[in-house]
Amino acid sequence: MKGTIFDIKQLAVFDGPGIRTTVFLKGCPLRCMWCHNPEGLISRPQLMRSTNGCMQCGRCQELLKHPAKAVEHPELLRVCPKNLFHISGQQLTVEELVAQLRLDEEYLKLVGGGITFSGGEPLAQADFLEACLKELSDMNLCIETSGYAMREDFEKIVELLDFVVMDLKMIDDVKHRYYTGVSNKRILSNLEYLKASGKPFVIRVPLIPGVNDTVENMVATAKLLQGTTNLQRVELLPYHRTAGVKYKMLGNVYAPRFDENREVRIDTEVFEKRGVTCRSL
Amino acid sequence: MNQRIEKLLKRYVVDKEQMKYRKSTDDPYRIAKEFEKENLSHLERSVRRLEYMLEEEEAIIYPDERIGLLRTVATNYEILTEKEWEELKKDHYVHELGKVCNINPGYEKLINCGFDKKRKEIQKQKECYREDEKKLAELDAFLRVLDSLEAFAKKYEKEARDKGNEEIANLFKKIPAQKADTFQEALQFLRLIHYGLWCSYNYHNTLGRFDQYMYPYFKADMEAGRLDEDEALELVEEFFICCNKDSDLYPGMQQGDNGQSMVLGGLNKDGTDSYNRLSDLCLQASLELKLIDPKINVRVNKNTPVELYEKGTLLTKQGIGFPQYTNDDVVIQGLKRWGYDEEDAYNYVVAACWEVIIPGCGMDIPNINGLSFPEVLTEAMEDLKKSRSFEAFMKKIYEKLQFKVHSLCEEIKNIYMEPAPLMSLMMDNCIEEAKDISEGNKYNNFGFHGTGLSTAVDSLASIRKYIFQDKMFNAEELLSFLKEDFKGDESIQNMIRYESPKMGNDDDDVDELAIRLLDWFADVLEGRKNERGGIFRAGTGSAMYYVWQSKDMPATPDGRNKGEEFACNYSPSLFNRVQGPVSVIKSFSKPHLYRVANGGPLTLELHDTLFRNEDSIRKVALFIKSFIDMGGHQMQINAVNRSILLDAKKHPEKHRNLIVRVWGWSGYFVELDEVYQNQIIKRMEHTV
Repeated sequence: MKGTIFDIKQLAVFDGPGIRTTVFLKGCPLRCMWCHNPEGLISRPQLMRSTNGCMQCGRCQELLKHPAKAVEHPELLRVCPKNLFHISGQQLTVEELVAQLRLDEEYLKLVGGGITFSGGEPLAQADFLEACLKELSDMNLCIETSGYAMREDFEKIVELLDFVVMDLKMIDDVKHRYYTGVSNKRILSNLEYLKASGKPFVIRVPLIPGVNDTVENMVATAKLLQGTTNLQRVELLPYHRTAGVKYKMLGNVYAPRFDENREVRIDTEVFEKRGVTCRSL
Repeated sequence: MNQRIEKLLKRYVVDKEQMKYRKSTDDPYRIAKEFEKENLSHLERSVRRLEYMLEEEEAIIYPDERIGLLRTVATNYEILTEKEWEELKKDHYVHELGKVCNINPGYEKLINCGFDKKRKEIQKQKECYREDEKKLAELDAFLRVLDSLEAFAKKYEKEARDKGNEEIANLFKKIPAQKADTFQEALQFLRLIHYGLWCSYNYHNTLGRFDQYMYPYFKADMEAGRLDEDEALELVEEFFICCNKDSDLYPGMQQGDNGQSMVLGGLNKDGTDSYNRLSDLCLQASLELKLIDPKINVRVNKNTPVELYEKGTLLTKQGIGFPQYTNDDVVIQGLKRWGYDEEDAYNYVVAACWEVIIPGCGMDIPNINGLSFPEVLTEAMEDLKKSRSFEAFMKKIYEKLQFKVHSLCEEIKNIYMEPAPLMSLMMDNCIEEAKDISEGNKYNNFGFHGTGLSTAVDSLASIRKYIFQDKMFNAEELLSFLKEDFKGDESIQNMIRYESPKMGNDDDDVDELAIRLLDWFADVLEGRKNERGGIFRAGTGSAMYYVWQSKDMPATPDGRNKGEEFACNYSPSLFNRVQGPVSVIKSFSKPHLYRVANGGPLTLELHDTLFRNEDSIRKVALFIKSFIDMGGHQMQINAVNRSILLDAKKHPEKHRNLIVRVWGWSGYFVELDEVYQNQIIKRMEHTV
């Protein structure tokens, strides 16, 4: 069985307890307008081109005409003297990925950390993920998920984890469909499972100006979470205007249908007064 | 910081009001020409220079200062004319500017004693050496140096009195004639002798273990109730600001490279740590002031609690490029192996950048020259054609390295340094033996940097892979790529450059090459004596050699172009997109670093977002601690943001206060030469 990953990041300090290595699985069923990891959206490998340091030498013209060919023949990327191209999306077997992660096992244990699977949506490759988690069961394991998954997948994965970081973007389903492309029914249902599971978890809310930073949404979110003993805290992630930088690298255009320049409303109080620890990152 | 400190900070650092007292610059050889006419001895010239400087200096006092002294003379006067230097260099090895520099004077030898008592000691020695003219001349020089500093202090006393600053007037009424008794007196005393050193053209005057030699004064004042912590912090902060008042006059390679390092904490012989409350106040002062001087170093070991690293990381978060961490477990072991007495080894400090030296008795020259690993490799390249196996080629590398190191050692013959009587007064046995520090002291070891290690290691890894394993091209083809600087073969170059195995990815096969090169460097120096009876020490630093030694270096088999610079110090190559910081610290802690403990840190750039909150700061602290625990010897970290640096290049006026770590010191980014600015921006590409 092979999985597709688009990055492995060391010294991840925001992705669960301790110092972690985060594996980014490629492919996501959601299409959040503010997504800042667009290479995580589709599961097949893609050609990416950074422009930082580009000398405009033009040697990549052929390459750019046939990006799909480059995915098959990565040696074609060598035309760029600045190494600005890379293929996002590496297909690895469970054994290959696990072996790579095991290299830092001792280190991660020493610093009280572990492995986090993120994405994309890691649950979109639930079987691959399950196999990896089983192989790594002696390490501290965590996922970062949108919560959008079949209930049985969600359950079998959560079972194998030490910690969960889950997004809760919006409570209103109509808005949720509009801004993310999917209904939040599964997400809310999975959240209920998570709350009841006793598994320690963190909820993240990406704060998008004018979209979900409203009083109404924040109150509804807080109400949904209050009294959950295994919820460690809520983390608010205010929107950054740099979210769109990677779209250009994939040859796409970033065109969110909300006002990027509007100031984000950050309200931790609404959670705190309901007994839910909350901080803004 | 309190309002008074804020005011001082604005005056001296932001507005640079002190510049209005600066005299115009003069011909630096003017007084040397007179000395030459009079045919004076070099010792006499040294004394006269200091006397002249201190006479010319005008006393400037502000009513709100509590630690005084300001430079007004803008010229560093030479004591030899250009022609005399030229003559002298014909049969002498002259290190840098030919001055005693980059050592750590035992400031406490004067602060704890006072000049009156010191004079008596010297007088007594004069009795012993009644027949020896040379020694008498040295002792007389010592006396005159003390007299001129004291007269200078009196000038300040009078001016302070006239300006109504009774506090400073009273300080100078007592010191330097008498020893310091309070923390404030000790600080003013330190400022005075430090100032005197700069006026003597000694440079890279490290402040050393400030938290140790100042501690007794701090403690006594606290215990007697003369001082509380707020006031102690205020005094420390004022002293730190003093280090920035005149630093543009201090010689260095770049603005900011002035060697005003300070070392906090450190293991004691009994296994306890000397880190104390004053060390804490120093960290706090630096955190509040965000100044490039003094440059803070922390001595750590495997038992150092993560809390100390957290305090350090808060400082790093300010973006000032320090503290730098040095691992006692590695360095002390290394120093003992090199023959340093146990007591001295435990007392080590870092010199201007990261070179390990001993306060009060080390006349080591830890940066006397640098071995360029890529140069060794380049010189061996012709032999590649004849090498049947990779190991056969490595044998050639060893031979070239041995030869290169041998010639570096041989170059250093008949070293010359100007006499430094004031410095001598703070070094062991100079009075007792009536001997100038420029002639040597207890330790007279020479240290070599080791430059471009990752470039050499990556080149070897690439040779092994493409020529001996994959047989993708042969030695002759590779030599022709290099000769042509890869012109027309860019695709091969990019393959080598970006895809071949590299140091910093925790790849044992590659890292083993680094272990070997560093071991060889240490091996070939082992047992070799220098002309002063000292030894040679190998190191992992680069100083500015990463630019100097790469400038004319042809293309290398790691895909580096001709003239492209090496990584700074002990770090992955600039175009190695490393797997991540964890792999880097694992790779770089593998070599036997106690054998190459001359100094030279792993230099890392971490993106400033990693320092976002308390929790992440704790994790970064843990990460640094893990490098030390794995046996890393030294680390310096920049908290950076590439886009800010790019903007600073375009709009320097908007980023006057942007500070970066360069090679072993922190400086203002906009004041650096472009080559250093660009290399830092390239280094940012490693950031997570």
